[in-house]
Amino acid sequence: MPPVPSLDPKAQRGPGGKNAARVNMEKPQNGKQTLKKLIRYIGGSRYLFFTLIGVMLAITVLNLAAPMIQQIAIDRMTITGERLEVDFPGLIKALACLAGVYAALSLFTYLQGLFSAKLSQITVKTIRRDLFEKLVRLPIKYFDTHRHGDLMSRMTNDVENISTTVSQSIGSLISGVLTVIGSVVIMLTYSPLLTLICLSTIVLTVIVSGIMTKFMRKFFLEQQILLGKLNGHVEEYVTGYHTVAAYSKERDAIAEFNDTSDKLRICGIKAQICGGMMGPMMNCISNFGFVLIAAFGGWFAIKGMITVGTIQAFILYSKQFSRPINEIANQYANIQTAIAGAERIFEVMESEREKDEGKADFKAENVKGDISFKDVKFSYVEGKPVLKGLDLEVKRGQKIAIVGATGSGKTTIVNLLTRFYEIDGGSITVDGIDLYDIPKNELRKSIAIVLQDTVLFSGTIGENISYGREDADISEIKAAAEKAYADEFIRRLPDGYDTVLAEGGSNLSQGQRQLLSIARAALADPGILILDEATSSVDTRTEMHIQSAMVALMKNRTSLIIAHRLSTIRDADKIVVIDGGKVVEEGSHEELLARQGCYYRLYQTQFAGNKT
Amino acid sequence: MKFLKYLKPYRIYALLAPLFMLGEVTVDLLQPKLMSAIVDDGVLKYDLRVILHTGILMMLLILVGGACGVLSSVFSGCASQGFSRDLRSDVFSKVMRLSFQQTDKFTTGSLVTRLTADITAIQQMVDFALRMFVRDSIMFVGGIFMMLSMNVRFGLALAVAMPIEIVVVIFIMKRANPLYTEVAKRLDTVNSVMQENVSGSRVVKACVREDHESARFDVANTDLMSANLKVQKLVAILQPLLMIVMNMSVIAVIWIGGRQVDAEEMKVGQVMAAVTYLTRILMGIMMLSMMFQTVSRASASAKRIAEVLGTEPVISDGRGAAGCSGKGSVSFRGVTFSYPGSSGDPVVCGIDLDIAPGENIAILGATGSGKSSLVDLIPRFYDTDEGEVLVDGVNVRDYALDDLRGRIGIVLQKSELFSQTAAENIRWGNKNADEEEVRLAAETAQADEFIMTMPEGYDTLIAEKGASLSGGQKQRMSIARAVIKKPEIIIFDDSTSALDLGTEAKLQRALRENLSGTTVITIAQRIASVKNCDRIAVLDHGRLVACAAHQELLDTCGIYQEIYRSQVRTSGGED
Repeated sequence: MPPVPSLDPKAQRGPGGKNAARVNMEKPQNGKQTLKKLIRYIGGSRYLFFTLIGVMLAITVLNLAAPMIQQIAIDRMTITGERLEVDFPGLIKALACLAGVYAALSLFTYLQGLFSAKLSQITVKTIRRDLFEKLVRLPIKYFDTHRHGDLMSRMTNDVENISTTVSQSIGSLISGVLTVIGSVVIMLTYSPLLTLICLSTIVLTVIVSGIMTKFMRKFFLEQQILLGKLNGHVEEYVTGYHTVAAYSKERDAIAEFNDTSDKLRICGIKAQICGGMMGPMMNCISNFGFVLIAAFGGWFAIKGMITVGTIQAFILYSKQFSRPINEIANQYANIQTAIAGAERIFEVMESEREKDEGKADFKAENVKGDISFKDVKFSYVEGKPVLKGLDLEVKRGQKIAIVGATGSGKTTIVNLLTRFYEIDGGSITVDGIDLYDIPKNELRKSIAIVLQDTVLFSGTIGENISYGREDADISEIKAAAEKAYADEFIRRLPDGYDTVLAEGGSNLSQGQRQLLSIARAALADPGILILDEATSSVDTRTEMHIQSAMVALMKNRTSLIIAHRLSTIRDADKIVVIDGGKVVEEGSHEELLARQGCYYRLYQTQFAGNKT
Repeated sequence: MKFLKYLKPYRIYALLAPLFMLGEVTVDLLQPKLMSAIVDDGVLKYDLRVILHTGILMMLLILVGGACGVLSSVFSGCASQGFSRDLRSDVFSKVMRLSFQQTDKFTTGSLVTRLTADITAIQQMVDFALRMFVRDSIMFVGGIFMMLSMNVRFGLALAVAMPIEIVVVIFIMKRANPLYTEVAKRLDTVNSVMQENVSGSRVVKACVREDHESARFDVANTDLMSANLKVQKLVAILQPLLMIVMNMSVIAVIWIGGRQVDAEEMKVGQVMAAVTYLTRILMGIMMLSMMFQTVSRASASAKRIAEVLGTEPVISDGRGAAGCSGKGSVSFRGVTFSYPGSSGDPVVCGIDLDIAPGENIAILGATGSGKSSLVDLIPRFYDTDEGEVLVDGVNVRDYALDDLRGRIGIVLQKSELFSQTAAENIRWGNKNADEEEVRLAAETAQADEFIMTMPEGYDTLIAEKGASLSGGQKQRMSIARAVIKKPEIIIFDDSTSALDLGTEAKLQRALRENLSGTTVITIAQRIASVKNCDRIAVLDHGRLVACAAHQELLDTCGIYQEIYRSQVRTSGGED
């Protein structure tokens, strides 16, 4: 049994793994720290970053200059004498200038697109790479105690969020701020008084958009939660469809689904109304500002305080910066979300990696296979010891069967020997060398394990068999498959050994998958072999065939067999019975039966039916 | 669009939304004209009254326009959310009625995507169509109209700029679309490598393949980046190109305007208004190009959903045979079955077998010998190709499905639990069971003990798919679920494989005591589990080889002897 610490599911999740993770906007716990780390990643391509900032600066300046020149051009028509006159040479000059500015603007906009794409892609690629590097070095304990779905979502959604933020949000935030500052400065130079009037509408914009985003956030949050619930429902009922059908639960499932679906509809309408109101309201305010400028400007112009051109410039600039203010509000929320995601990513990156302090001269190919456990203590969850001082002596070439009731700690022995978990006390040695002095890679290379749950990787059958030994050629692969009685069914597959496995081998039966993983072990040809319920899903007749192959496989190497079928363990050199975290009995099948102890009782229960 | 009927109940909303949008756009279009009036008649002529009057008029119009905009989004929200809810319900109901062979074909993963992402894409499109599309098209047409109404010569700038814009958009989108597909594909690869490493971490470590996996991921990651960069580089051209065309035509308009002003054909404010209109028209083109992207994404989604909706369940209710009082007999008459779409030999071939009410029968055979397939035919998870299956003397095809499945309790090989409390999970078998019954069923299934050790006993929430339970615990939960149903026929499809010896023996005893009178069909691997059954049916390559009691089979059936020997070969404690 895989160690499933019996914590409640909520506690099993990592501290940052709130389920409401995919909501529209969340507050990071420690935003500053995370932002710093994130900036370090972006800083990896610092030249690119500063070039990008430079380009954005240029764009902002050009964006601010364009209306000014446009204004100059139009002013060429407003020179007032008795009648309207147009100063054509001036107009041509201004228009030429404008054309130059526009051309430069397009060029720089293109560069901005190019650079920010590059920056975000490189950043995200690096984050992904580092995250994965970390992932494969995390201790097994991490995977056993964290929800896989949660881990996956960190690596997909959270990374994706960062990508969009780097490529879009940061850019618009920076240029938004620059534009606002620039506009205000220019307006001030024209007329401080009119600027003040203009800014009053900005205050209105900020207040209204602040209130609106608050509402929006609330509804979007609710919407996200409902959507998550709906998706979870679909996922659960579609994957568990066989059971749903077997219990005729379709109607209940549909009713529950419709209920959530309807709540989502109502919430969705609210969210949409909120979102839809934003545009018209902002429009209203900016137009209100326009009227104000026109009215006051006109009055000032009549009084001779400013020119008509100034009014028009103001109209343009006030438009220029109500847009970025909206945008800044939006981007702020996006950036917060991304930082919250980054926080979760860094949490994975900063978890402790597997320790590997082994320095002993230990080569996998020379392993002899003497294993000894001395007074080993271990617990998955503090206070709930699984092994309470286990002693076990295995000599090279021996076949040891480990039996015991569910939860007695059989699989734990495997977890400790392979150093998937670290012991709390006592010592384990292989070939007389302490486990902690052996380089981890060499240790694991010297052990092949066939697990209860077969894991297959995307790729061909042949690649999966050679997973334990990359350099194997096809004839070796075939030989190993033959040994494991897998050759026959593989050859019946459409492309034989080159058949590509669908979705983690879902097109194979449990039994076939187990045969493949036995073949994998056969090919790896290690000094120590561990079979953890390796044949539980193979029917007994097929198992009998494999049995002889396994006998050959186990020859000349130390083998640990965990099984609850007595037929698989009867031929072991030594049977070890574990109960309550300790070895309670050991000996051969006959010896243990004769002793009429724990093993005898286990044996009796299996054949209880036979007795009557 | 065949989904239009889902919009029908909301047609009033669907009509009102664009109508109000029309109001908003009209105001939007009038606004530059009013602005030019303020400039030309007010500011230039130093007439404060005109400024104030026009200003107040403008404010009023803007308020009306804003109200229209808000109402439009209210109505389109009602329409699109209602639309998507109804569509979602229909698709989900359909999925729940599909037969196994059809869900197998779609694969569960793709069904989930269709029900979630695809429907959202369509909903967005509906909302988009009701508002943005209307808005942009009116803006586009109205803008052209307004501009030309001021001076026909401005048409020249438009006539040059518009075709260029359209060609640019089409050209780039055409090239970008396949690239987006490529990006999606590569993202899939990256995700699946991650998924494999998360769920297969033990094997990766045991085989010391961390470096190999890192290298594999690096390739996928780099591939993804280059695909992403390729498409983003291409799209990066779009905006600047459109911008330059747009801005150059602004210059052209100012130039044309200047000459008109000089000839006293136009006023300055009008030139400014023309510039504003032009910008809106060309922005409209950009928005429409985004619209096309949304539409093309939604139409791919719509196709996938239509596929689900268009699938008729192969297995549907029979005529609804009258409740026959057979009380649990099952007969197979010349049954042959192969999985739909598979080639080669049928998995079940010419089986004749009569199971009497209350009989305790076992099915034994090698992996792939057709045991599970055979029992799947009883609750009509699949239909036979030839022959017939009778329950209580009536062809299963004649029953209403609920009636048929109500008679049968099946414990599947893979225990599927749901994220509800332990008690609720068990109550799947019988909605109305009281606490005592739930507990009794759990005791029979040997589940009571571990359920009681959970923090909140029977009210403990089971994690999604039972992730918080071990394999054996899940199996016992699902046995309890079947037991509480008190069916006529109960089927155990190799559902004790994760139990240890002692627990299984206890379970067997409890089941024998509590299920008297029920027909029990057990698929098992271990002879010990089935030895006490009244009869044992031995399957081999889809054929029934023998069916008799244990002792008789031991004497007469070669395959059975072989299985027996493989399990109790040198048994000291035997006989």
